[in-house]
Amino acid sequence: MIQINNLTKSFTSKSGKGFKKETVTVNAVNEVSFECKPGRIFSLLGPNGAGKTTTLRMIAGIINPTSGSAIVDGVDISQGNDEVKKRIGFLTGSTGLYERLNPDETLDFFGKLYKLPETELKERKEYLFEKLGINEFRKKRMGQMSTGMKQKVSIARTLIHDPEVLIFDEPTSGLDVITADSIIDLIRESKADNKTVIFSSHIMSEVDLLCDDLAIINKGSIIYNDSFDNFKSDMNADNLTQEFINRVKEA
Amino acid sequence: MNELFIIIKKELTELLRDRKTIINSILLPTLLIPILMFGGIKISQMIQKSNQEKKVKIGLVNAPDDFKSLVLSDTLNQVTTYDESIDFKTLIDDDTIQTALVFSSDWTARMDSLRSGQIKIYRNGTKDNVNGRVKSMLDVYATKLKSKRIAQLEIPVEKMTPFTENVIEVGEQKELIGKRVGGFIPYIFILTMWGGCLLAAIDLVTGEKERKTIETTLSLPISKFKVLMGKAIVASLLGFIPALLNLIGLVLGLQFIDGIPEVFTSALGEMLNFQSISMILLLLIPFSLFLAGLIIALVAGATSFKEAQSKASPIIILIIIPLVMALMPGIDFTWATVFIPVLNIGLGVKEIMAGTINMGMYSAMLLSLIAFAIAAIYFSYKKFSDENAILK
Repeated sequence: MIQINNLTKSFTSKSGKGFKKETVTVNAVNEVSFECKPGRIFSLLGPNGAGKTTTLRMIAGIINPTSGSAIVDGVDISQGNDEVKKRIGFLTGSTGLYERLNPDETLDFFGKLYKLPETELKERKEYLFEKLGINEFRKKRMGQMSTGMKQKVSIARTLIHDPEVLIFDEPTSGLDVITADSIIDLIRESKADNKTVIFSSHIMSEVDLLCDDLAIINKGSIIYNDSFDNFKSDMNADNLTQEFINRVKEA
Repeated sequence: MNELFIIIKKELTELLRDRKTIINSILLPTLLIPILMFGGIKISQMIQKSNQEKKVKIGLVNAPDDFKSLVLSDTLNQVTTYDESIDFKTLIDDDTIQTALVFSSDWTARMDSLRSGQIKIYRNGTKDNVNGRVKSMLDVYATKLKSKRIAQLEIPVEKMTPFTENVIEVGEQKELIGKRVGGFIPYIFILTMWGGCLLAAIDLVTGEKERKTIETTLSLPISKFKVLMGKAIVASLLGFIPALLNLIGLVLGLQFIDGIPEVFTSALGEMLNFQSISMILLLLIPFSLFLAGLIIALVAGATSFKEAQSKASPIIILIIIPLVMALMPGIDFTWATVFIPVLNIGLGVKEIMAGTINMGMYSAMLLSLIAFAIAAIYFSYKKFSDENAILK
């Protein structure tokens, strides 16, 4: 379960020449509130620069909010973000893999830092390698892998500690349809296992396939937040993409 | 603590799988000093040999017979006799001759009457080998003439020798060489250490940004301080190891390279003992952490390798200036210099090698370096925690 209340993130930058310095403060995320329930997939949609990544980074404990609160699996992020991080699997376009390690070493590294017992780590690793088809390249260095191979390993490292909360930001971006399908399958499996899943994508067909609840964020503020069924029943446009564009333009 | 070891192990594995790191931090530092020593000795031997084998073309005017036979006794000398002074400048410029010695026309009369004669020497001041050899010949000739005159005047040799010198060296050879050579040694390993720390720190911070893994690392359930400490320790190790390999290279070079003067080899061998090496390495531990922390703080906001290099590289001046000062006469290891980073290492290593280090001052220097290392780590932690800088 994730409960977000009035979450705000301001960035301050200094600009100007010589002795004249100006301090500019921008709210990248402005009083955002929503709730993601276990066993449901929550889609956070928005155009580039809308504040999606900043919101997800705050939930994942990577950056601290300026104000507001976020409770992840019963833990308030203000109480210490290491506890929150243990409960989250975080995968975005900016979470790359260590190029000079191989998948085996990568998962061992993550598993040890998540403090998984040795046997559990081994079992979990073998399960994910089998499920995602990583076995054939498990000793190959990440720097020598294709985008698809890397994404599979990224998914595996996100799931290695079997987290209660999963954050996927465009997980199928750049993948072939077969690999993308196996990842969609994994997200569905996480939902079936009663996990809380936040899913963000620009591919509306995937949103249609997976989404249970939906929020649209634009210019740092939530402009829509309801169930996906209600969104579809309120649609004025012919398809999801057009409806999304219309709502962003109207906001 | 276990988490810190996991981070260190991962960072070290990654760095040591990079060919650039292996070459710059392992191979080059180990081979640098032996190559420099071997190369330096070989080159100086070659230059010396080739100079000795070179012909010297000498022009002579009014030269007495005894001088001519002295010159011709060295078969490498090629003599041209001229009847009178001509335009020797042109002859030297077009390499017909390399030097000309014009004896005064009344040379024999002056010598016979025990007066001073005059020799005009035409030469090019840049030809050290030619000028040196001519000078030696003239010195030999002057000594010969002097002895002849003393004999002619029947003066006892003792009367012409008012005193003899007998130097009794009370300073140890180790102290003498340590103070003279000791200043150069920190030069080598501090610069190598700087290079190692710089490459590693940039790879571990800016490299992670370039490879888009910094967010992955920050999503791990460990504090930013531990992540930073892991990176700082690895960067300092990659600075410390090359410095250690430098010292090993120096010891091996002294052991196995021929041609180094015996007095030098034995003095340096005596200086580089277990105690002095341990004392030097102990200083380098906090110093490498200080460098690593400082570089990480400087490059934390950089988004590319190039930007990071341009931000950190100017610091090299702050390292070279104190090292140069440590070599200057009059700047000693005192309570005033003991707290100045880099300068204190430069001066301290000289004292350690000479065996004259004051242990109180050594301890103060070590403590000051630890304090600087803590300050640099704190500074880098502040920068590393800056969301605007690290996630840029």
